[in-house]
Amino acid sequence: MNAPTSALVAPRPERLRLVGQRRQILTMMHQRLMFGLLVYAGVVALIVMRILYLAAFGDHAGAKQGVTSLVPERGDIVDRDGQPLARTIDAWTIGLWPSKVIGNKLEIARKLAQLMPEHDEAGYLAMLRSKKSFFYLRRRAAPGLVEAVNAIGEPGLAIEREPDRLYPQTSLAAHVIGYTDVDGKGTAGIERAMDEKLSDPATRGQPVQLSISTKVQQALEHELLDAMTHFSAVGAAGIVMDIHSGEVLAMTSLPQLNPNAAGKGSMEARFNRATLGVYELGSTFKPFTVAMAMDSGVVRSMGQIYNCPNQLNVYGRTINDTHPFNRACTVAEIMKESSNIGTAQIAAQLGATRQKEFLRKMGFLDPVAIELREKGRTLSPGNNWGPLETMTVGYGHGIAVTPLHLASGYAALFNGGLYRPATLLKVGRKHAAAKGHRVFSEGTSYKMRSLLRLVVTKGTGKKADAPGYRVGGKTGSAEKYHNRSLLVTTFAGVFPMDEPRYVVVVMLDEPKATAETYGFRTAGWNVAPVVSKTVSRIAPMLGVRPDKNREPNMSEVLPYVHEKTEH
Amino acid sequence: MSAPGFRSVFMVASCAGAALSCYLVSLNVASERAALEDVETKIVLAQRDIRLLQTEIGTRGRLAQLERWNVKVLALSAPSADQFLEGGFQLARLGRPEPKLNVEAPVVLASAPAPNPQPAPLEEGERRTAGAGATASSAAQLMQQASLKVQVREPMQLAEPIARPEPPKAQPVAAKPVAKKAPTPAKIAAEKLEKASAPKPGKPAPANFAKAPETKPAGADKKAGDKKLALAAKPMTKSVRTAKVDPLAPLPASANSKKTTGNSGTAR
Repeated sequence: MNAPTSALVAPRPERLRLVGQRRQILTMMHQRLMFGLLVYAGVVALIVMRILYLAAFGDHAGAKQGVTSLVPERGDIVDRDGQPLARTIDAWTIGLWPSKVIGNKLEIARKLAQLMPEHDEAGYLAMLRSKKSFFYLRRRAAPGLVEAVNAIGEPGLAIEREPDRLYPQTSLAAHVIGYTDVDGKGTAGIERAMDEKLSDPATRGQPVQLSISTKVQQALEHELLDAMTHFSAVGAAGIVMDIHSGEVLAMTSLPQLNPNAAGKGSMEARFNRATLGVYELGSTFKPFTVAMAMDSGVVRSMGQIYNCPNQLNVYGRTINDTHPFNRACTVAEIMKESSNIGTAQIAAQLGATRQKEFLRKMGFLDPVAIELREKGRTLSPGNNWGPLETMTVGYGHGIAVTPLHLASGYAALFNGGLYRPATLLKVGRKHAAAKGHRVFSEGTSYKMRSLLRLVVTKGTGKKADAPGYRVGGKTGSAEKYHNRSLLVTTFAGVFPMDEPRYVVVVMLDEPKATAETYGFRTAGWNVAPVVSKTVSRIAPMLGVRPDKNREPNMSEVLPYVHEKTEH
Repeated sequence: MSAPGFRSVFMVASCAGAALSCYLVSLNVASERAALEDVETKIVLAQRDIRLLQTEIGTRGRLAQLERWNVKVLALSAPSADQFLEGGFQLARLGRPEPKLNVEAPVVLASAPAPNPQPAPLEEGERRTAGAGATASSAAQLMQQASLKVQVREPMQLAEPIARPEPPKAQPVAAKPVAKKAPTPAKIAAEKLEKASAPKPGKPAPANFAKAPETKPAGADKKAGDKKLALAAKPMTKSVRTAKVDPLAPLPASANSKKTTGNSGTAR
C-alpha cells in the first residue's frame, strides 16, 4: 500500500534508506523461505525415496528374523557314521540378580534351599543380600526345577535359555572329543583342536566328522574297562586304527571321564593316556628291530641263528629273558618267545645310527602326529645313544613313547612299509588321507606278517587269538621306571594277518595278578584276552569275514621254529 | 473442449490404475513370499524339534546304556567264526543230518505196522474176504516162513543165547520184521525156552510177554491156513535173507541179529 505513494512523493533520504532496508529484509526472507522449502522438500523426498526403496527391496512387515536357519551356536561333532558325539542344545539356566529382589529374602532363601540343596538357607540368604550383581544358581537345570523356581514369582530370579554343550554318548570317546569350559570354548580334545572351525559362524553349520566309529569305540572301551577292573589296573589305553588311511577308529583312555561334567573328573581321568602319556612299551618294539634289521640286510632270513645264553652281560649290564633258551636260536624263535637277549644282539648289529633313522622316520622321536593338542614328548636316550642304549631300545626299554606312536608304527610296518600320520578326521572327499612316506620295504612288511602271526599261534600271545580273524601281534610287558615292581603291559595286534587292515593297541597300566592268571601279570595274561574279545566283536562290524581256513604264509617261519621248547 | 479436457483425466486415471495394478502385483508377491517364509520357519522349527528329540533319544539310548542292558539282561555276544557261512553251498551242507533220519525211519516203519494190524483183523473176521487180508497176511507169512526155515539151525544157536545172561532186549513183537529172519527164530526159541524155564533176570515188563504168545499163535494159525501164499512169497524172502544173514557164521550172526533187533526196538 505504501509503496506507490512512496514512489510518487520524493522520498526523504531517511525513508529511502528505509526502503532499501525493507528490500534487503524481503530478499533475505525470500531466501530463508526458499531454503526452508528446500529443506522440507528434501526431507519429504528422502522419506519418499526410503519408502520406495523399502517397497522395492525391503522386507515386508510380517518377515521373521532369527529362526530362518538352523545354525547351532557351536558346531556338532559326529562320528564316521554320522552319530552325534557332541551337540549344542538350549538349556535352562537359573540366575539371581540380588539388586532386583523385591520379596521377602528369608522366605526366598528357604524355598531355594528346598529346591536346590547344594547350598543351605544361610548360603542363599547371603547371596540375596550380597552386593554382587549376578549369581548363577544352576546351569543346565531340569524343566521341573525351572518350573518350581518360576513359581516362586520373584523378579530377581532370572530364568533364561543358554546354549549348552551336550555329549549324548557321555563318557564314550571322551578323550577324543574333549570338552568345553562354561563359556563354550574348547579346552581339550577335538573341541580344543578344532575350536575355530566349531565356533566360526561360517563353518559351524557343518558338523565335524571324526574317524571314530562309536560301535568300535564302545566295544574297545567296554572290554578294556572290564580288564582294567578285573586286574585292578590304575589306568588303560586302547587304540584301533585303519592301517591304510591312518584313521583312528577308536581311541580310549581309562579311567572314564564324563565330558558333560568334566570338572568333576579327577586329574587321572582327564589325562589322555593314549596320546599324552608316554610309556616304555617293552617287547612290542621287537618287531620293529627285526624289521629294521631285515631292511638293512642284517637279518637275511627268519632262520638266521643267534646265540641265546641264559644271561647276556654287555657294557656292565645283564640282560635277562623270561623264557631263556640257553642254546642257539633262530630269529623266528626269538620273536616267538620274546627273547630280549636275541633282540639285543640284532639291535647291536643294526647299530645306533640306523636305528635312530628308522625311529625318526616312523615319527617315534617327535610328538605323535594327530590333530589333538594333548601330545606327549618321547623320552629317548637322546645324546647318550650308545651301544647299550641301542640294545635296550631294540627291545623297547630306555625309550618311552605314547601308545598312539606304537599304533602308527605298527600301521606303517604292515601298510607295506608306508608310514602315514594318524588322523582323527574321517578320510573321504572332504579330508584326503595324509601323504605317506616309506619306512620299510614291501618285502619286509610281507615277511613280518607270518612272524607276528607265529607269536599268536605258538608264542606268548596265544590268548589274543580270535578264531577265524587271523590276529597277529606282539606282547609287551615293561617295568615302570619309578617302581620296578609295577608293570605296563601292552599288546599290539594286527588283523586279518593275511591281508593286514586294522591295528589294535591295548595297554594296561599297573595290572595286578589274579588267581586265574596263576600269579602272572605279563601282557600275555591280561591284555591279550582283551584283544581277542575286542577283535571278535569289532571285526564283523568292520567287514572282516572270519575264515578258519585262511592264514598268512606261515612257511616263512615255521621251518625255523624248534618245537621241542616247552613253556 | 470436453475431449481434450478429459484426456488429462483419463491419463491420470490410467496412470493411477497402472500404478495400482503394479502395486497389487507386488503385494501379491510379497504375501506369497510371506507365506513361503512361514512355511520355511515351520520347517526350521520342525527340524529343531527333530534334532532335539533325536538328541534325547540318542542320549537315553546311548551305547553305554545298551551295553549295560546287554550285560544284565540280554547277554548277547559276538558271533563266532563258525556262524559265518561262505554261501549257499555251505548253508546247504548244514541240512545234511536229516536224510540220515529218513534212512532209519523206513526200517522202523516196515517192521512196526506189520505185526500190529495183524492180530486185530485176523481175530475179528478170519473168514472175511481173502483179498482184504491178503496184504497183511503176506507180510506175516514172510516171517513165519523164516522161522520155519531156520528152525533147522536152532540147536546151534540156542546154546549161545542161553549161555549168555543177556535177555532179548527188544519186545518180541519187534522181532518179527520181515527183513530179519535169522534173529526171529533164535529169539522166539530163546523166549520159549526162557518162559518155560523160570523167571528171567532183567526181563522187560511181563505184559510184553503176555502179548508175545498171543501174537504168535495167531501167526501159527495163519501159517496153517495160508501156506500156498507163503510158498508163493518164498523166493523173494529167500533172496533177501541170503544177502544179509547167510554169509555170516552162526556166532557173529547171532550177535549181529541182536544188535539189529535192539536197534529196531529202540527206534520203535
